[in-house]
Amino acid sequence: MLGLFGTLDMASRSLSVQQEEMTISGQNLANVNSPSYADEQLVTSQSVPLPTQIGDEGTGVQMTGITESRNPLLDSQIQAEASVTGSLNAQQNSLQNAEAYLDEEISSTSSSAAPDSPNGLATDLSNMFNAFQSLSTDPSDLSLRQSAVGSAQYVTAQLNQVSAQLSTVQANLNTSVQNDVASSNQDLNTIASLNKQIVAAEAAGGSANQLIDQREATLENLAGLANFSTSTESNGAVDVSIGGVTMVSGVTAVDQLQAYDPGNGQLQVRAQNAGTNITLTGGSISGEITARDGALASLQSGLNTLASQLITQVNTIYSAGYDLNGNTGQDLFTGTDASDIGVNSNVANDPSQFQAAGAPNAAGDNKVALELAQLGNQNLAGLNNQTFSGNYAQTVSNLGDAISSVNDQLNNSQAVSQMLTTDRASTSGVSVDTEMTNLIQYQKAYEASAELITTLNEMLQTVVAMKTV
Amino acid sequence: MRVSTSSFTDGFLYQINQLQSQQTTLQGEASTGLSITEPEQDPAVMNQVLNLQSEASAGAQYQNNIAQIQNSATTASDALNSLQSLVEQAGEIATQANGLSSPTQLSSYATQVGQLIQQALQIANTQDANGNYIFGGTETGTAPFSATTSANGDVTSVAYSGNTSVADSEIAPGLTVSAQTPGENNTGSGAEGVFADSRTGADLFSHLISLQQNLQSGNTSAIASTDSPNLTKDENNVVTQISGNAVLQSTLEVAGNVAKQQVTTETAQMSNDTSANLAQTLTQLSQTQTAYQAALESGTMVMSISLVDFLQ
Repeated sequence: MLGLFGTLDMASRSLSVQQEEMTISGQNLANVNSPSYADEQLVTSQSVPLPTQIGDEGTGVQMTGITESRNPLLDSQIQAEASVTGSLNAQQNSLQNAEAYLDEEISSTSSSAAPDSPNGLATDLSNMFNAFQSLSTDPSDLSLRQSAVGSAQYVTAQLNQVSAQLSTVQANLNTSVQNDVASSNQDLNTIASLNKQIVAAEAAGGSANQLIDQREATLENLAGLANFSTSTESNGAVDVSIGGVTMVSGVTAVDQLQAYDPGNGQLQVRAQNAGTNITLTGGSISGEITARDGALASLQSGLNTLASQLITQVNTIYSAGYDLNGNTGQDLFTGTDASDIGVNSNVANDPSQFQAAGAPNAAGDNKVALELAQLGNQNLAGLNNQTFSGNYAQTVSNLGDAISSVNDQLNNSQAVSQMLTTDRASTSGVSVDTEMTNLIQYQKAYEASAELITTLNEMLQTVVAMKTV
Repeated sequence: MRVSTSSFTDGFLYQINQLQSQQTTLQGEASTGLSITEPEQDPAVMNQVLNLQSEASAGAQYQNNIAQIQNSATTASDALNSLQSLVEQAGEIATQANGLSSPTQLSSYATQVGQLIQQALQIANTQDANGNYIFGGTETGTAPFSATTSANGDVTSVAYSGNTSVADSEIAPGLTVSAQTPGENNTGSGAEGVFADSRTGADLFSHLISLQQNLQSGNTSAIASTDSPNLTKDENNVVTQISGNAVLQSTLEVAGNVAKQQVTTETAQMSNDTSANLAQTLTQLSQTQTAYQAALESGTMVMSISLVDFLQ
């Protein structure tokens, strides 16, 4: 038999359990909008019964722990998808920058004019070959010579500008790789130190739910930067390895990422202590490297090929020509690729030096001007048997293809992320309605336990009153 | 399925974002009338548009070239027609001189032939609208024909300082023509000379000078035996040039029509490739708007109430 005092004690314990339930509900409600928070529950059970002659007698309720609703499988899927999304986002940003710099945007200036792309290199190239055509119809005309030189300058200026802007995009990507590597290392350190606290807390028999939530949030942040694999140790610590190299083992951060220059100025990533080169397949670092060495590099090299072909093909024809003064042998284009292509300053300053004629002292000879004009229609072996315009259009549409594919993948990845987040929210998320219902339940239970104490109090008074009578 | 509070708001936001981005795209299409503006939207169409753009621009340039060459061809045609009537006049004088013995009349013919030589020189140094000499081959900057005159003012010889090349210009991909003609070509190859050509035996100036000298000296038999047949060769040569010019002009006209047609087709193709189907776009836009409105209304309705509202 518990007796009156024993029952009073039971009622008091019951009050504190209901209070704790209220506290947990309050904690859940407070975190209803925290993204990586998992719904917590107080685990209660009957306290140890007293054996009596008439059988076991209950001693009330006891708290055995606080658990949270976490699904580790969903968590790891969300981490993996965060890596995919991170990589694609980084690619999309930089490639769309490059697209904007190319400035090939279709617009329609008026309802009568056909929609075209008036600002980019495509128009400049057409204009240049058209100017050569015009010059071929009247090679001695100084204004036509001037416009041929001027249109060539537009082409070189546009190539220089786009090339410089693409280099800036690539330089920015290298900076981003460095910054993201630093952030990843910070996350790795945070994970190791959280592991340490979690192991300590759980060794003492407690649960470290808040710390686990924090660690999950950090892991998800890290996943956006670099993809990794994890394994959970029996003591609660999570080991993290990136690209096969263990970065966090138990409570220590054993290695870190390091951005290094393999010699060409394009940063790659390796493990700082192990020295192993790491090829990331997800996360923004991988997206930055993929965009830089993939679509951007091929765009850059496409433009360089175009520029160098323009220089050699035009100069081969042009240098054999004669200008109005009977001089020959000069080049029209200087430089070697898109970054430094330019127009020979002699002819730029004096269009009469444009070598349009195939023979000296024949003002009406247009042989070279005509050959230059016809070069515009020629399929060149150095440009995959395409014309200059055709090759450039291909380069532009290749970039478009790359962006369009990233866009599609990003849409898919966002839909998958959304689905996983919904899944996780239905397991781990807090429902205000549920918590409110619980609150009523706990409140009523609390009231009932309090009522028990009141009753016991009255009974005790009755007992005490017996003595005075 | 258990629905937590955040899963509802997350899902709601995702759907609203989707609808908003759809609306933005459709609104962009409706306001520009274009279904594609950036390469990423449809790389294949972008490729095609850039190629069509360059072809259409080249087509417009061919039209410019054709107009330019047509100008020169018209100038040449006028000059050749004048030249033909001039050669005819000289031929008539040669025919009429045959059998005449009056020195006065012969000398008056000789004076007429002297004027014809001057006119022919003027025609030979014709310049087009841009100041280029049209009968100097590619040496368009200097007058191709210059005369040497005797003490009494008669032209004794005419020298040609032009060359025998002509400058071709493109009027369609791979098709080149030239409105230029060399004044003289005695090389036996290349474009035929207008005033002298070794292949046809034409040599207008020396034949006219010889006619004038024979008229002055009264050598009518030489006129009949040499000058008349020579002038016929000259006339035939000019007629050949005129028909060549006519062929050139009709070629230019055909090429001009082809280029114009081509530009029209290419422009239409570009519009086809890039134009938004406005009826479809606007219908979709209004559908999306309805969905957006419905999502907002139902979302706010569901989110605004919870059990809290009903607890006292």
